[in-house]
Amino acid sequence: CSAAKQPSSTVSGNLKSSPACYQFSYSNLSLSATLLSGSEEKIIIPKMKTWNAEAVLQALASTVNRDTTASNYVFQDDSYLTPRTSREFKLYYLSQESGRNAAKYFINTFPRYFQKDFAEPHIPCLMPETLELQIDEVSERALTECIQLRKVKAAVDMFDQLTQMGSPVSLDLTNDLLDLICLYGDQEPAQDVPPEQRTNDMVRQRWQMNNNAERIFNMMPEPNSCSYGALIRGMVKHGSIPKAFIMYNDMLNNQLTADVHTFNALISAAPYLKEKYSEKWDLIIDLLKQMAYQKVKPNVLTFNAVLKALQRCGALGRVQAFPVLNEMKALGIGLSTTLLTPVHINFMCKVLYFRSPEMYIYYITEIILCVGLIFCLDTKDMEQAYKLQSLLDIGENWKLLGDSFHQSVYYGRFFNLLCMMEHVDVVLKWYRELSPSLFYPNSQRMRDLFQALDMDNRLDIIPQIWKDIKRMGHDNNTELVEEMLSLMAREKHKPEVQQSFAECALDVKTLYKQTDYGRVQLNWSASSLIFLHLIPNCLPLFMSINKVPLILGHFLGHLFKLEQNLCFLIYSEYLLKQFLDCIQMNNNSEQLKGIDLCLEFPPPSFFVHESSLTLQVHARRSNTLIETTPHLPNILCWNSSPLFLLQDDLISYHNTYC
Amino acid sequence: MAASLHKKILSIACEQVKSAACRTAVSRSIHSSAVCYKNYAARIRVGKGDKPVTYEEALHPHHIGHRKGWLSQHTSNLHGEGGTSDRVVEDVFIRRFMFGTFHGCLANELVIKRRGNMLIICALMLQKLPPQKYYFFIGYTEELLSHFYKCPVKLEIQTLEDKVVYKYL
Repeated sequence: CSAAKQPSSTVSGNLKSSPACYQFSYSNLSLSATLLSGSEEKIIIPKMKTWNAEAVLQALASTVNRDTTASNYVFQDDSYLTPRTSREFKLYYLSQESGRNAAKYFINTFPRYFQKDFAEPHIPCLMPETLELQIDEVSERALTECIQLRKVKAAVDMFDQLTQMGSPVSLDLTNDLLDLICLYGDQEPAQDVPPEQRTNDMVRQRWQMNNNAERIFNMMPEPNSCSYGALIRGMVKHGSIPKAFIMYNDMLNNQLTADVHTFNALISAAPYLKEKYSEKWDLIIDLLKQMAYQKVKPNVLTFNAVLKALQRCGALGRVQAFPVLNEMKALGIGLSTTLLTPVHINFMCKVLYFRSPEMYIYYITEIILCVGLIFCLDTKDMEQAYKLQSLLDIGENWKLLGDSFHQSVYYGRFFNLLCMMEHVDVVLKWYRELSPSLFYPNSQRMRDLFQALDMDNRLDIIPQIWKDIKRMGHDNNTELVEEMLSLMAREKHKPEVQQSFAECALDVKTLYKQTDYGRVQLNWSASSLIFLHLIPNCLPLFMSINKVPLILGHFLGHLFKLEQNLCFLIYSEYLLKQFLDCIQMNNNSEQLKGIDLCLEFPPPSFFVHESSLTLQVHARRSNTLIETTPHLPNILCWNSSPLFLLQDDLISYHNTYC
Repeated sequence: MAASLHKKILSIACEQVKSAACRTAVSRSIHSSAVCYKNYAARIRVGKGDKPVTYEEALHPHHIGHRKGWLSQHTSNLHGEGGTSDRVVEDVFIRRFMFGTFHGCLANELVIKRRGNMLIICALMLQKLPPQKYYFFIGYTEELLSHFYKCPVKLEIQTLEDKVVYKYL
């Protein structure tokens, strides 16, 4: 043995040896092996691998793409800490954010511990925020500071104090103050909440009559266009539209020109002023004309506002949107996606997709993708869908997907489309790529996947998919589980496949028994018949796996318990026969234990007696009678029904063996 | 009695020294601590054989560099580099901070790495808390330490079921 070992050490130790030497050591090894063992085992020397000149570069390049097995970068790379479902994703993400908020609270409440600044150059975002007013005196500087810190009430008080003292406040500062008040609608600004954490119940404040903004405005000796603009925009933002237009008219009467922001606000408010679609559109046209007359150049936001407004114009809007978009294209303006919500994009997609596919493609980079995909779904257009998907890889377009909810919607739809249209290999490739790193499929998507597998006859992958289903927490979804079982049980497959199916089915079986706290227990239902279908096909295989007869016996016992369903009974009798047939073929104590469990629950009264006979026959044939005698009381109660009396049989049995 | 008298004299002497020092505008004061023997630091004494001990704890400090690695990795100890003592003080604070924040969850000593301007804290944790609580603490720690040290601080956590026992002493 040691002689054989020496050549192998030369092989392993001397990696840079020449091929000739390499071969020599191996042949030496084979020779000594033959000598020692005396057998004719041939050692196959693997062919030397030739590498491409760019192999190293290719290997490195393959690491640069997104890792499809890793979860989102915000999470820790540990299996205990990786989210497995979308619910866990949101939970972990939000708990991390709340930890950050807690830290920010401490940092801003005790800033004296974080003042030491040794970062070179200075990093302002890592310093504590000064949220408290520093300047105490009543002056313009203090007012500026209040405005910067967004303290609305304090700023208004400061302003009042200054005017009472008699020192006039400059026009710019007054305009700033008006901006502040109008932006927040005379309320204190709400806490800055990032998009992920925003809830739906953040209500817009209403504009109150004669509030501070109007009061200060009326106090102003000469309001300029900025002041008017601030007021108009505030009124539009907080819902008081007619007043905004009155203010606008006032402004025109004073021969002042509005700036582009004011016009944007007015355009977005126009639909709320009039009732009829045509009037709305006329108002918008009017405003645009005035804009042109006052030589105010429209910007992206103008067009956004126009499109948003058109949404509320119904059919007329759809007609008119098209030339607007043409105009935008002519001006070379893109769309500002951050301002458009999915509803607006939906509207635009409808307009574009059906009127002009070329335009659609022009804007495709800027349309929120989950909505764009809807049209691909409707028209079953895979090419477009792939184009959309590839666009996500370009630049910063991944941001267009929005938050995790919209992302899941997009990927869900994409996967749905794939399952419907593409071959199962493609589907599986995308499945591996997308889940679990990018999205967590819900049970509906998993059913789509099963359908795709079914269509292309790849049902052998089902056990692997089952593992994924368990991981994602869909295993308490009865329909999904039953669909999977029915797919497995439909026809007979190759033995290895059947084996894997059998193990998978047993796994499912354990779910029926589990009563863990917090888990929804699967119910025995009439549709669990499907599971029963599975058993005849796999029964011989089941017998070979250890402990299976035990489980099956228990299962059958359960079946006897459920007396309601007639089909159950007839079927269970059929199963029992099969079960017993299999038992008769292989004969060991495990099976007897299985029978034991079977008999724990007495079968219902009109159970056909043949099976009971079979049991008895078996009990007689086997040598381990002592174990089978406990069966006797049960057999007795079975046969107590007047329908079938096998008294002679029983008595003779009893006499012989007890 | 004698001890208290000694103490009194010592304190008076200290004050005089301090005041003298202040007058000359070079301030140095006496700092006293308990005695720290070098042959007791980071060494575990052999006991009855029922105390589980991790690899880190079991090996004594003279094995560092031979059988143990370093727990704190930075370049301040190289020739010509400064800021050694600052790094040491930062490390001590970070270790205490993590020990307190993740109380009872740390399975082993922290490993602190400094790469560029980033501070990376690698920790082994036990799976005592549900993951969302871990994430709360992770977010809190990263944010607080980043603001404290004015540099990005990242945590790399690995979880274990139990502490890995190397031997029983």
